[in-house]
This record gives sequence, C-alpha cells and structure tokens, in this order.
Amino acid sequence: MSKEDSLESGLKEKLAARRQQEWRKALRQEVSGRIRLQIPRHKMPEQPPARRAGNFLEVNLGYSLEVAREEARRCLDCGEPGCVSGCPVAIDIPTFIKYIEAGEIDLALSTIRETNSLPAICGRVCPQEVQCEKNCNLVKAGRESVAIGHLERFAADYVRQQEEPLTVSPCGKPGNEKIAVIGSGPAGLTVAADLAQLGYQVTVFEGLHLPGGVLTYGIPEFRLPRFILNQEIKLISDLGVEIKTNFLVGRTATLNDLRQAGYRAFFMGTGAGLPSFMNIPGENLAGVCSANEYLTRVNLMKAARFPEYDTPVPVVKKAAVIGGGNVAMDAVRTALRLGATEASIYYRRSRAEMPARVEEVKHAEEEGIKFNFLTVPVRYLGDDKGRLTGMVLQRLTLGEPDASGRRRPVPIPGSEFEVETELAVVAIGQSPNPLLIRQVEGLKLGRWGNVEVDPSTMATSLEGIYAGGDAVRGGATVILAMGDGRKAARAIDRWLRRC
Amino acid sequence: MTRVLLSERLVPNIFHLVIEAPEIARSARPGQFVMVIPDEKGERVPINLADWDKEQGTIDLVFMNLGLSTRKLARFQPGDYLQTVSGPLGRPAEMGNFGHVLLVGGCYGLGGLYPLAREFKQLGNRVTCLAEARDENYIFWEEKARKVSDNYRQALRADCFASGEELGEIIKELKDNSPDLSRVVVMGCSYLLFIVSRITRELNLKTMVNLNPIMVDGTGMCGACRVSVNGQTYFACVDGPEFDGHAVDWVEYFNRRRAFLRQEELALALYLNRTLD
Repeated sequence: MSKEDSLESGLKEKLAARRQQEWRKALRQEVSGRIRLQIPRHKMPEQPPARRAGNFLEVNLGYSLEVAREEARRCLDCGEPGCVSGCPVAIDIPTFIKYIEAGEIDLALSTIRETNSLPAICGRVCPQEVQCEKNCNLVKAGRESVAIGHLERFAADYVRQQEEPLTVSPCGKPGNEKIAVIGSGPAGLTVAADLAQLGYQVTVFEGLHLPGGVLTYGIPEFRLPRFILNQEIKLISDLGVEIKTNFLVGRTATLNDLRQAGYRAFFMGTGAGLPSFMNIPGENLAGVCSANEYLTRVNLMKAARFPEYDTPVPVVKKAAVIGGGNVAMDAVRTALRLGATEASIYYRRSRAEMPARVEEVKHAEEEGIKFNFLTVPVRYLGDDKGRLTGMVLQRLTLGEPDASGRRRPVPIPGSEFEVETELAVVAIGQSPNPLLIRQVEGLKLGRWGNVEVDPSTMATSLEGIYAGGDAVRGGATVILAMGDGRKAARAIDRWLRRC
Repeated sequence: MTRVLLSERLVPNIFHLVIEAPEIARSARPGQFVMVIPDEKGERVPINLADWDKEQGTIDLVFMNLGLSTRKLARFQPGDYLQTVSGPLGRPAEMGNFGHVLLVGGCYGLGGLYPLAREFKQLGNRVTCLAEARDENYIFWEEKARKVSDNYRQALRADCFASGEELGEIIKELKDNSPDLSRVVVMGCSYLLFIVSRITRELNLKTMVNLNPIMVDGTGMCGACRVSVNGQTYFACVDGPEFDGHAVDWVEYFNRRRAFLRQEELALALYLNRTLD
C-alpha cells in the first residue's frame, strides 16, 4: 500500500489547521526544540525476564502519566510529520501526542479513535519501528524516535471509557441497510465499527465461540491481555454491532442465504487461518503441530490451565519452533511459559531477515530463547509409537536476493545434523482460510488463494462484496488489516449511497 | 448457549441429546458433525450429526460416554444449556446413486448412519444397514434404520471383533449375493473403520470411512486433525471427515489419536473424582 492510498484527501490540511490552534502554539513555545531534543526516550517498564518466563502476564507494564507526558514532550510537533504518513490508518499522531503532553488524555484518545477503533491493541502489537516511528523526524536528527506506540497504548489504557460515536457519512445521508461482516478479527471489527457509526445495521459473523479472530486465538496474553481485547470489542458492540459467534459463513449459512435474509453488502475478513507445513518426512508424527494449533490451544482454549480447563497442550522440556516471524516468537515464548527448559527458534535465514517485531525478538532473547539461524529441518524422527523424538536439520547460507528482496537461503550439502526435541511447532506462515472464499462463485482469487481486490476500495470482483486483512494479504499485520477495514467501510458506504 | 430438549441413554454406554439449533438444522447434511463445548471450561469436541429437524429447528447428537467431554455431555438434562454448539462442519458425505450401498455402523456410528441411509434411499439406492455391536443390548435405532433401508443386518461381536470374522462373513455374503453392491460407508469407532476397510479391500469394494481424529477448532485452522490419504496430508475437518478407507494411513491415524492419551486419562480421572464424591 502506498502512502498516498492511506492519506485521506484533505488530511494534510486538517493536520496543518490543528497545528495552528492556540494551545498547540503555546505548547511549542513553552519548551524549545533544543530542550526537547535532549530528553532521552523513555524505556517501557517490563516484568523482569526471569519472572515473566514463568507466567502469562503481560510483559510490558505501561507508562505512568508522568512518564507519558515527559515522553510526549520529546515530540517536536513538526510541520511535516513523517509519522502520520507511516501509519496505515493515518492517525493524527502529533495531535494526540500533544494532547498527552497537555495532560488531556481523553482528547488524545478520541483523536486516535477518529481513525483507529482498536488503540489499546495497536499500541501493543503494531510494528511501529517500521511504520510511524521509522518516519519520526527525531530519527533524522540522530535521536531515538518518539515512543509513539507506547504513547498510543498509554492513552487507551489510561482512559478506558467510551467516546461518543462520531463521524457523519461523507455522503451526508445516514445509512440503514443490513451489512454482513464475516470474521471478527481486526479487519472485520474495524469495518463493523465504522459502518455502525454511519448508521448501518451491522452483523459480524464469527465461526469460533469467541470474537477477535487472530487477536483471540493467535496473540498470547503476555502480549495482549484478554481484558484489554474484551474491552475494545465491547466498545464496538456498544456501537450497535451484533456479533454472532459460532456462525461459520459457508457452513452454517451460505453467502446467498445471508443475501436472502436481507444483507445488502458483505465484507470478507476471513483471515489467513490455513497453516502451512513443509511437507517433509515425519511431519505428521504426534508432537509436530502448527503454531496455529499450539497457540489456539493455549490462547483460545486456555490449555495452560489444564486440567482446570479441559483442553490439553503438549508440555515438554525441549521445544523447537520453526520460523522467524511474530507467530514463531509467540509460540516459542509460550513454550517457555509452559515449562520448557530449552525453547529454541530454528530460522532458515539470518537475524537481519527475521520478519518479527524488534521488541518481540528482544523480549525473547532476554527470556533465554535460543536462536538458531540459517537452519532448517529436513525430516522429523519418531519412536515406534509415532511420537516425535528429534529432527534432522540442515545448514544454509544466503545467496542472491529473491522475489521478496531478501537473500535466498541456499542449503549447504552434507551439513545435516540431529537434535532431540519432544515438540516441534511449525510457524512458517499461513495462507487465506479457503472455507468460504472457495465457495463464492465467481470470486476472483490470486495466486496464493487470496481474494483479489481493488486496492483503493477493497471491492472484490463481485458487486457488493468487499474483502480485506489477511484474506487479501496472506499474512500481514493487525494495523494493515484495520486500514483495509477502514477503506472498505468508506467504499461500502459510497456504494450503497451511490455517491 | 444452546438448550437441551431431550436427553436419553440409548444403550448402556451411548447417549442421545436433542438440542435447539435451528441454523444448524437448516444446513445439515449427512456425514457432517458439530463442535460442542459442554461447559465454560470445556474443550471443543466434534460430535456426528445423527439426525435433524428443519421444521422444529433441532439436531440430534449420539455419542459414547468414553472421555471427559462425552461424560460431561451425558449428564445434560432437558432445560440445561450447553456452552456452545457450532456447525454443521466438515464436507457432507459423498452421495449419489451407486446401485446397492452397504452402510456399516458401530457404537455411536449407529446414529450417524441413519441420515446417510435416509438420503441414499431417497436417491434411489438399494440400502443395506449392517449394525455391529457387542451383543443385542448395544443395538439402538433399529426401527429407524429399517424404515429407510431395504435390508437390515446385525453383526454381534461374540468375542471375535479383533479379526472381524463375523463382519467379514456377512460382507462377503452380501457381495456374493448382490453384484451391484458397489459402495460401503462406515461410521463409528476407529477400529471398526479400520477392520471394515481391511475386509472390503480384499473384496475390492469401494469403502468410505467417517474419520474422527483429534480436532481443536474444526474449521481448518489448526491441522490437529491431519490424516494421510494416498500419501497426501489432509485436514479431516474441512477436507473430510469422509475418506477412502483403503487409502488412509491407519498406523499414523491411530498414533495421532493417542497423542494426548496421558492428559485425557488424567483429566477424566480428576473429573470422576470430583463428580463422584
């Protein structure tokens, strides 16, 4: 997605006008830029590694009001804020940060909520270092960026109360049609919140028994506590959105059934739930599982509290996780918390190519996770009962860049070696959930089984059907999914209002 | 929350629940299952659909009280609420007009067999139902099955289940007397699925089995239910649960089903301790 796509028309003007408000000018005059530049970035307080490796409580503890205001003071309130163009949903970052500096946390949060329905979540799980914070002008001045993510999280946590629903349709007429949103992950929740605020009757259909999609089954409690997620979801229900769980569109009812029930427009936010495997020998041994299975057992089904809860999860001393993304980090840190004395990452490229958020990698290292780079399993070993006992790994070296621009890992012949392990969690990626999208006749799909859309409206090849998030992208981030949802909501409104 | 309307013990170890689930009843097809969470701390357990009523908006579940979740389910009474029920899940069984179809059911599979028989009959097949059980005390829904089949047989185990002798003789006899017998479908415990597949393989009789591997979400997102069929990996919850019994890797299937045996035994023992006090 290009920056232009994410910037609403008129956004620049809006930002500039707000910057000229008296209170902003006063703040800028109160403390000079030179002094602001001297304040060092405030570290996020954390649970000590040794303690947190034994619990599922959130690792990050959050800023206090004083620290948040001090951190906000570091922001220069620049005339050309790079941070906003780095944000997929174009949050008015300078305004919210200056509100924090002024101590007006409520106003800071409502500024964020203008374009982001899930601030407490994004403040926690967005890869800020490659988005807003990367474009912070402090970086250009040779300083660390303002801790935008930490401040967003602070605003949401500090206020924790519902803002009045805002927004009027750009078409000027309120909608009232029935809209079906399929999937209650970040994309679906965003579409639902936006359209409900425009007056539409929105129903979100969720196949599992709890809403939230990947936020619920995928992201562990130590990164995103459930009560935070539940509160964000409640705010969206409070807008009048109906969330129907245990309703798998494609099985419980088809898209056509819903159309006959009066739904006028559809948003497919069905996610990338189909776990990839490597198709190597021994992959179906008991003890080899997908990261989705491992994390779903723990996050959705509370298997860490087995036998109080009925769903079990393998509890092992030695755990191996294959992959280098956020999901791999979540899985390996979960293994540690479930009591593994040795929890290791095996990644086929080197540290520099790891797609995981920098903070997750840092946290994992502090907790004692072992990283094995340029290593990939080629086969799994089992006993006579079909249980995993170990794996054969191969070493790789980096060759020429591939289509993704990253250097391609090339196997080193004869470099195979064995390690023992009782659990191997495969976290090498997911592809779009095929259950619904393969059923919709005429829906144009891309090479990876993803739904093809017009990137400016998120409209699919079928009229009235929109899609976004990982169903379109394959496996991206929460904030990109939300950006898609926002865009789709606007396009659905325009389509129904014919404007 | 889903309301239980009827609860009964069919035979000593098999129970029947009728529950209110109008949306599932409307979409249900033979061979599909639902995911049930019995109570707040329960797991998602797949249970075959044994019948449904679109008009009444109800579905019928038949299960053996073997593990923790099914024992919990067996205690539900009319008016009680299950935590959640979702579905129908899985691909419907492959239906069509195959001439003469043999449907083999054992233990809880005698429930799921019924809608299969009904639909095969409607499609113009000659339908034979073969009920496998330890003895007559474990047979249920005989009248129901007779109404939708042309021929109803029983194979009582008489201590020879391991070799499947009795079953083998009956299937062979059916095949000998009915040249148009071209398809077998098996529902029930894993061992029955395996034994019947072994018997029919020798007879060169196409056999579909309704597998019941360990599942977590049941919607194709986790791969806990991976099965190898013809050397390819499938997710039973979305690619199945019906597969060609002659192509299933049975050793792997049984190994994977045992993956959590230790935890399952522990959870059950704790539950029984707690509830029998």
